[in-house]
Amino acid sequence: MFGQRRSKRNIFALATLAAGALAVTALPAQAFNVHTTDGVTPTTIKLGITIPLTGSAAPGYSKIPAAMIAYFNYVNDNGGVNGRKIQLVVKDDAYLPTLAVAKTNELILKDKVFAVIGALGTANHIAVSKSVNLGRRGVPDLFLNTGFSGFADAKKYPTTFSLFPSYVMEAKIMGQYLKDKFPGKKLGLIYQADDFGTDALAGFKQAGTNFAVKVSYASGSQSAQTAAGWVSKLKAAGAEVVVMFGVTTASGAALATSAALGYKAQWILGSVGGDATTLKAVGVPAVVLTGAIGASFLPAPTDTSDPYVAFFQGINTKYNGGAVFDNNVLVAMNTAMMTVQALRAAGANPTQKGLVAALESKGSTFASAGLAPLNYAKGVHVGYNGYWFGSYNSSGELKPIGGDYSVYTTDSGAGAIAKSTYVRPALPANGLPTN
Amino acid sequence: MRNLFGHSSRRLKAAIAFPVIGVVLFIISNRVDELRVYQGANVAVYVVAIISIILLTGYSGQISLGHGALMAVGAYAAVLSQVYWHLPIILTFVVAVLAAAGFGAILGTAAGRLTGPYLAGTTLALAVGLPSLANQFGFLGGEQGLNYDVGLPPTWLGADFTQYKWFFWISALAALMVTWLSFNLLGSHYGRNWRALRSNPTAAALMGIHVGRSKVLAFTVSSGLAGLSGALLAMTISLVTPSAFPTSLSFSIVTGAVLAGVTLLTGSIVGAVVLVAIPEITGALATHLGGSEKVTSNLPGLLTSVLLIVAVLLFPNGPQAIMKRTRKSSH
Repeated sequence: MFGQRRSKRNIFALATLAAGALAVTALPAQAFNVHTTDGVTPTTIKLGITIPLTGSAAPGYSKIPAAMIAYFNYVNDNGGVNGRKIQLVVKDDAYLPTLAVAKTNELILKDKVFAVIGALGTANHIAVSKSVNLGRRGVPDLFLNTGFSGFADAKKYPTTFSLFPSYVMEAKIMGQYLKDKFPGKKLGLIYQADDFGTDALAGFKQAGTNFAVKVSYASGSQSAQTAAGWVSKLKAAGAEVVVMFGVTTASGAALATSAALGYKAQWILGSVGGDATTLKAVGVPAVVLTGAIGASFLPAPTDTSDPYVAFFQGINTKYNGGAVFDNNVLVAMNTAMMTVQALRAAGANPTQKGLVAALESKGSTFASAGLAPLNYAKGVHVGYNGYWFGSYNSSGELKPIGGDYSVYTTDSGAGAIAKSTYVRPALPANGLPTN
Repeated sequence: MRNLFGHSSRRLKAAIAFPVIGVVLFIISNRVDELRVYQGANVAVYVVAIISIILLTGYSGQISLGHGALMAVGAYAAVLSQVYWHLPIILTFVVAVLAAAGFGAILGTAAGRLTGPYLAGTTLALAVGLPSLANQFGFLGGEQGLNYDVGLPPTWLGADFTQYKWFFWISALAALMVTWLSFNLLGSHYGRNWRALRSNPTAAALMGIHVGRSKVLAFTVSSGLAGLSGALLAMTISLVTPSAFPTSLSFSIVTGAVLAGVTLLTGSIVGAVVLVAIPEITGALATHLGGSEKVTSNLPGLLTSVLLIVAVLLFPNGPQAIMKRTRKSSH
C-alpha cells in the first residue's frame, strides 16, 4: 500500500525534479555563439589551461600554471599586449580525460577564453579534440605539451599547435646518435607498449638502428619487480648501451634495479623519462643517474650562463615566489613568452582565426629558449624538431657533452637527420617581446 | 481488487508521465546554452549509473564499489563492436548492456556467497584492477584509448543542432527508458523478491524465494545498466581509455546513490545533478575564496566527502524522505 502511494508520488516528483533541475540552468539562455571575439576586451585577453593540479600526474606539472602566470604578470606590469592584460584561467583536470573534457568545455563555453594554451596528456587531449572539437569551434589550441605524432595532422586538428618534437623525431635522432657515438656496441631498448612506443619503434626503424634486444612493458606495469625482468633480458643479450624510452617511473625503476643487480650499461634516457627533478621525486638517487645520457631541446634549467634561463630565473624569484626552478618552470615560462609573441603577431584587434594564421606565418621566427628551431608554417603545426644530448652529473644536472649544445634535427617522416646550424633569436630586451 | 486497480493506475500514470518528461526535456534542451546541454548529458549518464546502484544496493541489498569497472566493460564492449564489427551506434549500446550484464552474471555468481564488507572489498579490487588491464592488450588501445564516435547529429535536425545536444538526446532518452524499465521491474515480483531479500534473507528463503538466483539476477541487471552508462560516458568524451574509469568513479556513483536515497529511483536525478555540479561549484568557490593552490585543488574531494557524511547522518533515505516526513507531520 505504502509502496504504491510512494511510487505514484515519485513519478510526479521525478517530473518536477527533472524539469526543475534543468529549468534552473535554463536561465542564461542565449543564442548560438560565433566565436570571433571571445575572451578579448579593450583591456584584457583571457586564456585558459587545464592541467593536473591533483592526482598521480600532479607532481611537477602542477607548477606549470603558476610559472606561466608569473611571466604574464611581468608582461602585464609592463603594459600587457597592445594595452591588454593577459588573464589565465586555470582548471584542474586531475589527468582524467572526463575532467579534461568537462573543464575545457567550461573554459570555452562559460569563461569564453580566447585560446587554450599548454594542455598536456595525450589521451586527455585526444578526448578534448574529439569531444569539444576545438578545431570545428575555431578555438586556438597552442603549445601542446606532448610528442604524440597524431597531433601533427593539421587537417584533423586545424587549430592545434604542438610544442614538443614528436617521439618519432626523438627516436630518429637518438638512433643517429647511437650510430655516431657507439658503433659496434650491442644495443638494448626498453619501450612502452602503446602509441608512445610505436612512435619510438618507427623512429628507430627510420634511423636504421639495430637493437640486440628489445623489451616492451605495458603502461602502468612498471615496478621494481618488472624492472628486474627487463634487466635479466638485457643482461642475457649482453646489451652494452640501453635506450630507455618510457615514462619517468619506468626509467626510475630500470635505473634503480640495474644498479641494485650490478648490471652496468650506458643508459640513454628519452626526454619523457629523463627529468632529473621528477626522477629524484620518484626516489632515484643521484648517484644512480650519474653518467646516464639524456636528451633535451631546452637549455639545462641550471645553466645560468644561458640568457633565457637567467632571465626566467629572475622572473621566478620576483613573480613566482622563488619556486624550485626546474624543467617544468622553464617550459611554462618559455610557453608564456611564445604566447605573448603569438598574441602580438595576431595584431591590434586579435581574432581566433588571426591567431592561428599568425602562428602559421610568423611562429618560426619567435624568440624562445629552445635550442632547436621552431617549425611552424602553413600546415606544419609541430614546434621544435631537434634534441641535444648531455650526461647527468653527480648532482643530477644534465650537462651538454663536450660543453656545448650540439643539436640534431629531423622530421617525423623519412627526412635526413642533420646537425643543426640554427641560432635562436636573442632574448628580447628585458624579456619583453617586440615582434 | 484494489491492489490490481492501484497497480494499473500506477502504470497508467507512468505511461503518461514519462512522455511528458521527455517533451519537457526536449523543450529545455532547445532553450539552454551549450555548456548546460553538455552537463545535462552528464546528468543523464549518472542517472543510469546511479539507478544501477539503487537496484543493487537499495533493493537486493548487495554492495558494490566496483561499478566503475562494469562501466568500463560496457564502454570497451561498445567501442570494440564499433571499431572491429562496424556495428551501427544503437547496437553498440545494446552490446554494452549485454557484455556488462554477462560479466556481471559471472561476477554475481562468484560473489553470491559474499556479503557486506567482503562483497564491497571484492568489487573494489575489480574497480582498481580491471580498467588498467586495457593497457596489457594492444587491441584495446592502451592509455591512448580507442575513439568512440557516435557520429554527427542527423542532418535533418538542422545545422544549428550541436554535437552536445545530440549527446544529450541520446543519453536523456536512455536515462528515461532505464528509469521506466526499472520502475516496472521493481513493481514486478522480481522487485518484491529483492526487497524481501534485502530485509531478511532467511525469511525470504522460507517464503520460497531462491536467494542465490535472485541475487545473481539483481547483479546481472545492475551490471547491464552500469555497462550502458559506461558507453554513454565514453560517448560524451568520444573516447574509451582506462583513465576515464578511475577508482574514484565507483565512489562517485555510490555517493550519488546515497545522496539520492538508495531506495528511491527518482532520487537518482538529485544524485546525478549534485555529482555534475560539484566540480563547477568548487571551481567557483575556489575563485571567490582565492587561497592557496593546495586548498582549492582539494576542495572537490572535500565537498563530496562532507556531503556524503552529512547525507548519511541527516537523511539516510534521501532528501525526498525528509520532504515526505515534513509533509506527513504537517497533515
